[in-house]
Amino acid sequence: MNTNLVDVRNVTKDFHNGKITVNALRGLDLAIHEGDFLAIVGPSGSGKTTLLNLIGALDIATSGDVHLFGHDLTALSRRERAELRLTSLGFVFQAYNLIPVLTALENVKFVLELQGIDGGRHERAMSTLEDLSLGELANRRPNEMSGGQQQRVAVARAIVSRPRLVLADEPTANLDSENSEALLRMMRELRDRHGMTFVFSTHDPLVMAHATRVVTLLDGRVASDEVKNAGEEVGSAN
Amino acid sequence: MMSVSTLRIAWRSLGRNFKRTLLVAGAIAVGQFAFLATSALMHGYGEQFFNAATGPMLGHAQVHAYDWREDRSIDLTLADIDGLLVDIRSDSNVAHASARIYAPAMAALTEDGFMGVVVGVDPETECHEAGLLPVDGMGELLGEHRVLVGAGFAKKHDIEPGMEIAIIGQDMDGSIASDLYTVEDVMWSAVEIIYALGIVMSLDDAQELLLMPDQAHEIVVHTSDRELIDETVVRLSHLPSLADLEVLSWKELAPFVITMATMVDLFAYIVLIVVFIAAAAGIANTMLMSTFERTHEFGMLLSLGCSPGRLSTMIAVEAAILGLVGVAIGTLSGIGFVAATSESGLNYAALGGSDSYEVAFKGMQFSLLIYPRIYAKDIVIAVAAILATSLMAVVWPIMRIVRLRPVEAMRS
Repeated sequence: MNTNLVDVRNVTKDFHNGKITVNALRGLDLAIHEGDFLAIVGPSGSGKTTLLNLIGALDIATSGDVHLFGHDLTALSRRERAELRLTSLGFVFQAYNLIPVLTALENVKFVLELQGIDGGRHERAMSTLEDLSLGELANRRPNEMSGGQQQRVAVARAIVSRPRLVLADEPTANLDSENSEALLRMMRELRDRHGMTFVFSTHDPLVMAHATRVVTLLDGRVASDEVKNAGEEVGSAN
Repeated sequence: MMSVSTLRIAWRSLGRNFKRTLLVAGAIAVGQFAFLATSALMHGYGEQFFNAATGPMLGHAQVHAYDWREDRSIDLTLADIDGLLVDIRSDSNVAHASARIYAPAMAALTEDGFMGVVVGVDPETECHEAGLLPVDGMGELLGEHRVLVGAGFAKKHDIEPGMEIAIIGQDMDGSIASDLYTVEDVMWSAVEIIYALGIVMSLDDAQELLLMPDQAHEIVVHTSDRELIDETVVRLSHLPSLADLEVLSWKELAPFVITMATMVDLFAYIVLIVVFIAAAAGIANTMLMSTFERTHEFGMLLSLGCSPGRLSTMIAVEAAILGLVGVAIGTLSGIGFVAATSESGLNYAALGGSDSYEVAFKGMQFSLLIYPRIYAKDIVIAVAAILATSLMAVVWPIMRIVRLRPVEAMRS
């Protein structure tokens, strides 16, 4: 559990809006380890989503280094970053973001197709849906499912290819507490069963309660980094 | 290679805004229908024009003495007409070859005379679909000293079958030629000179009246296939017996037909261009709206690792399907229109509120009953052009997609 999947070193990220420059991240350092169930928390504007985007190779830092699985993301081309996202990352977004014209099963299969996996796509996607108790909803389109069901399909899509790292941006923001609890339990189970690493950007205390590690951002910097062990004990991250 | 999912997403995406899709597909369908219907009418009109021009009047080719066409002098004849016809008919491409005589003459039923044109024809060789005597049994009416008169000529001068008509003209020697004939029947002809002035008699009678033994003014040739006309004209012109004579194809005899055909094609292509502009505008607008509406979704797909190329393909396929659906509906409607009217014809005159069925132009009578014709070429051109237009119309939306950044797109 000590291998660094992600190394963020002295990263800054600026956004320009006309003459105004917003410093979203200001010399941030963070290491994410394999098997982490990590919640990044902090007030709005603290840089949570920006950090998640940089880790997820969706954006590039203004300065500093972001290493993902040993790759320096700033050195990769747009296409190489897309390839890295496709093969090694899973994303769960706040607003589910399923493809509305595809069924649950097709949404999940689509990722496998993007990855060029030919054989057993259907079985693999179906098995993932069944693991998340979504087997009966396989042929429903997003608009025929509840928010909680859609978010579970989004999780199924994120994990179907067994990525090493799953990034989830406010995954429970649109869910009630019951659905949120179920979703988080399911993700914990996936992490325990498959050794996957989960990183959340969240405001939700429930996510923090489930997290094994909580990183608090404030004004674009890490304000605190707490590790919670199995018995909910809190310690300091390395 | 295009995946099933790409095709599936493209197809189903057309249903996201069904009304808009229906509207654009409908507009393309209407345009395609307009193009095919216009082309079919133009082809029908052009075919009728061609058949009228190259049918009984001009034939596919003609043989004359030099200067006869300009002077119309009675003594500019083709000699040894039987020998010439044997030589011409020996060409395997020649389906029909007929000799004709034209001579201006005075005609009289009573004491008052009026101008007409004596047309001498061979009843046996003119009795075919494109000949001057196209109705079965018409040739048999031209017995000795029996004539047929043009319908317009008959109407104008109150000529009726069974009447005696005196013909007075000038023979080859410049002497007065005259004789009395019986009007056997009144004939409709697409050839204006016959319709309005014609006194049609057998070639033998005309030769006897005008003192032109074994002579005629022109030989009209029809080939077995219109594609063979040019090569046949070249071959005939090299025949030793025709060496001193003028052998001309219908294109040289009636260049206005070529002009008309070009105009017909041009008109059809102008309609096609209008259709394409409308289709391009409709599709471009739809796809641009669609990409704007789905920017967030595209951002999500890019986040998942979907390449801009794949997204572009998705949009291009969507546009192509939209175009093809429209073009398919329009094509089926166009084919339906042609199928419904190609046998019965479409009466232009009736559409215009007129009772007349013919118009005269350049010496020919044209029926206003048009039989629309559709060619596979038109359908192929339209489908290919709509497809190309659909793809061109998505260049702009695709350029936008290619420039999308996942994070910015998802923020939208």
